[in-house]
Amino acid sequence: MSTETENPPAAAKPEVKTPPKPAPKKPEAPPVELPAFEKSISDKIIEKFGDKIEVGFVKEDRVRINVGRENVHEVAEFIRDGLNYDHVESVSGVDYPQDNEIEVVYHIGSYSESSLARQILVLATRAQRETNPIPGNDATKLPTLRDVFYSVEFHEREVFEMFGVYFEGHPDNRRLLLPEDWADLPPLRKDFAIKGR
Amino acid sequence: MTFTLPPGLALQKVDERIMTLNVGPQHPGSGHMRIIVQIDGDYIVACDPDPGYVHRGEEKMAEYRNYITNIPHLERPVIHDSCNVLYPYVLGAEELLGIEVPERAKYVRVIASELNRCIYIMYWLAIYGIFLGHSTMFMWPAGDRELLIDLMEKMTGARVTHAHFVPGGVRNDLPPNFEDVCLRQVNYFEKRIKEYAAVFYDNPILISRTRDTGVLSRQDAIRYGTTGSVLRASGVDYDLRVKEPYDVYDELDVHTNVMKEGDSYARSRIPWLDMIESCNIIRQALQKMPKSGSVRVKLKPNPKTKGLESVYKRVESGRGSLGCYIVSDGKVEPYRVKLSVPSFRNLIALPNLLKGEKLGNMPSVYWSLNYWPVEADR
Amino acid sequence: MSVIAPQFKLSEFIKSLLDNIFWIILILVLIGIPAVFMILFAMEMPVIDGELLTPFLALTWLADPSRILPVVKAFMSTDIFRVMAFPGFGFAALLAAATIFVERKMLAKLQLRVGPFYCGKFEGILQLMGDGLKLISKEIIIPAKADKPIFWAAPVLFVATAAAFVAFIPVAPGWVVADVEMGLLGVFAVIGFFPIITILSAWSANSKFPFIGGIRALFQMVSFEIPLILSLLGAVMLTGSLNLSEIAASQSSFPWIVFLPIGAIVFFITMLAELERIPFDLPEAESEIVAGWLTELSGMMYGLVQLGTYLKLYAFAGLFVVIFLGGWNGPMVVPPFPAELLTEGIHMGPIVAGPFPGLPLFDQEMLNGTLWFVLKTVAVIFFILLPRGVFPRIRVDMLLNLGWTKLIGLAFVNIFIALGLLYAGVLGPGGLQ
Repeated sequence: MSTETENPPAAAKPEVKTPPKPAPKKPEAPPVELPAFEKSISDKIIEKFGDKIEVGFVKEDRVRINVGRENVHEVAEFIRDGLNYDHVESVSGVDYPQDNEIEVVYHIGSYSESSLARQILVLATRAQRETNPIPGNDATKLPTLRDVFYSVEFHEREVFEMFGVYFEGHPDNRRLLLPEDWADLPPLRKDFAIKGR
Repeated sequence: MTFTLPPGLALQKVDERIMTLNVGPQHPGSGHMRIIVQIDGDYIVACDPDPGYVHRGEEKMAEYRNYITNIPHLERPVIHDSCNVLYPYVLGAEELLGIEVPERAKYVRVIASELNRCIYIMYWLAIYGIFLGHSTMFMWPAGDRELLIDLMEKMTGARVTHAHFVPGGVRNDLPPNFEDVCLRQVNYFEKRIKEYAAVFYDNPILISRTRDTGVLSRQDAIRYGTTGSVLRASGVDYDLRVKEPYDVYDELDVHTNVMKEGDSYARSRIPWLDMIESCNIIRQALQKMPKSGSVRVKLKPNPKTKGLESVYKRVESGRGSLGCYIVSDGKVEPYRVKLSVPSFRNLIALPNLLKGEKLGNMPSVYWSLNYWPVEADR
Repeated sequence: MSVIAPQFKLSEFIKSLLDNIFWIILILVLIGIPAVFMILFAMEMPVIDGELLTPFLALTWLADPSRILPVVKAFMSTDIFRVMAFPGFGFAALLAAATIFVERKMLAKLQLRVGPFYCGKFEGILQLMGDGLKLISKEIIIPAKADKPIFWAAPVLFVATAAAFVAFIPVAPGWVVADVEMGLLGVFAVIGFFPIITILSAWSANSKFPFIGGIRALFQMVSFEIPLILSLLGAVMLTGSLNLSEIAASQSSFPWIVFLPIGAIVFFITMLAELERIPFDLPEAESEIVAGWLTELSGMMYGLVQLGTYLKLYAFAGLFVVIFLGGWNGPMVVPPFPAELLTEGIHMGPIVAGPFPGLPLFDQEMLNGTLWFVLKTVAVIFFILLPRGVFPRIRVDMLLNLGWTKLIGLAFVNIFIALGLLYAGVLGPGGLQ
């Protein structure tokens, strides 16, 4: 699990719910005052899982949690049962060839709980990347979250075909958007170049 | 010779009674998407949607262009709702580049977004009519939509694919007499769409064809992660313009339309109610808009972001909540742009709803999910 | 070198002219003249002034035009004329063409459009001719595995059956192509052919979409035939005859729709279903099964099927008018024929034209009857065309439910009303006449 710290954005507008944030521009800033409600969410997760997870950032309406692939299923179950999030809005993959990893980011939201109506929880895991991928039969695997959140079904299929990340436990890892006879690298990887560029 | 299948594929035994029908990409009843339907007599046994006919690789192309030149091609997923497709991208880019947008620009953006929402919903309604065999319901929305497309042409210069929003505001200010013309046309438009109730929504044949078909319960709507009119037709009161207001929506009075039945009739009625609501929003925005001011913050060419950051912004478009996840690494081009489109999110409901339905109900259920094939494929 | 024909050579032009003249004269002489003689010999010649008019004598009209009138009148009473022109094919085709024009324009105005606009000087009136020419010039594509004899024959059979249906409809007193004693039974028999032809055409095309469309057409037409027949029986009971001309003549004081409104409504709905008009156009449901049983037909075969469909439309509307709306009956609006034309001729100052002994060609009764029949048919056709702009398509199970339960029930109610009226003595012998 690699570490990365992300800074709160500069010059946020003053909001009714959260106190106005100062705007430091230096990378290693002294601790800024984080929005209280979002901090409570991240605190609950830290309290349950300790150092299995790492808090990416706590911004207005967005809380980011980085988890390793062994624990992501457990954390997701806690998010659904303990924190009352109920659906996943999007699953994106981001390719980091310099770290040799592919990151899969889940954006989780809640329709039934009114206090969480604006909040999106960003859950990120990393999968190992191989230079010559054989999608489905190499080490780029992650556990599926389909049994926790049913709404990831088509999104995980798309991440599989675009990045080559195989989701173990997903009943239907098949092509979705690409044509059936696609025989090239998974297209959204960084080493797949569009012709002519 | 042994035959190994790639992972995730499996051989399937096909029953003799069941006929596999390919409601294919070139079919007057399916838009540009393939649905593989297995029917037993008149009932659908299984359904496998196969999007990807118009997949163009928008997200890959976005990594090769900088933040400004990404605008004309990222709006292509829905050409007539282009302002709403660009909106979350533009909001995200503004946060990454650290720009503050002037007030008048925000109002112009809200007006453009609402007009685009109406234009999209009219086109969707036209195609819904033609799927059910109602040619008048195809001609009337297509004709009345021209009123609003004229307004967009005055505002942006293009009928569709406006490319009007840029990080920093909008590209150009409104033309001189725009407020009066817009108010008059929006009033006439609202009068026209209220007549649709008589020919379409109160039509007994339409009601008998769509009532109680494709019922999506509230639990399922939340569990599948559906969004937009599909969600509101199943009884969940969720509209991003109210829950997470962006730009000036917190100063405008937006009313959410909710229906509880969750059948195709409710899903076809909610967008119509939304359009009437949009007319109210446009009138309020025209009234409250500052009469003068700049509409754009001038950026240096090739603006760069600050460092490794990611941002996720979402907006209520004609189909539902559209999200844009941008990862930037300090260069001129974004590192990754992901559009989380509402059509793709609503697609998961299709196989579950069509199981057990009659074949004659397939067009009415499928299109009532507010599905735009081009957007789902990006 | 001229601009129009850069390769123009005078000698070749004169050669082509002479070629054309040669062929025209050859065909006229070898084929035309014997044809004329055969027609003139086969036609029944009238007796004028005690003399049978021979074909040669008939050609004397070149000298005195008024002598053509008896020949024309004799021709008009032959069967050929009735089949081809007046109440038969020509008249029906003319009304069908007018129907197509009115349908396109009316629907367009209903839908905020303009309709055909460019073809023809007045509001696109020649659009149908343009469409016909286009269809004739298109290639007819036959699917490889189709059953060719049946596939070729099906559209022709369709038009033939539609024309046979047209033959039963009386337009004016005495003017009907086929005056059959059991006319209405003949109509039912001919209507029963349509589902067979449709399913033959669909099956022989050997493709999935026509298959589904043909099955749906079969369901639809068969399940609506029973209410159709039942709803017409009420009028038969009240008239006491199956002959269509007699049914029309018996409504001289009042039309049957006054007493049998339910039957008229049921017949109207089943008529829409038999014609495959919206809301019952499942066999052609465009958004689900491409074009239904018409999918594989191209070029003139499609044109023939459309012709047959509109002939059927006219015939059904005519049937509705004859049985429920009083046929040709109506107040006399045609002025009587001035008898002086027969004896004295027309006096225009010093010039005297006439007398014309062959007139009148059409007598007053026939003109009046035709006028009222056409007016009523046009009104019924208007109401048939109207639902196309208002309703979406119905679904198969709703269609079958309607045809087998509700419409048969209503038709029986209609029969009971007719029986009640008869036994109460209100109508029929002894009652209102």
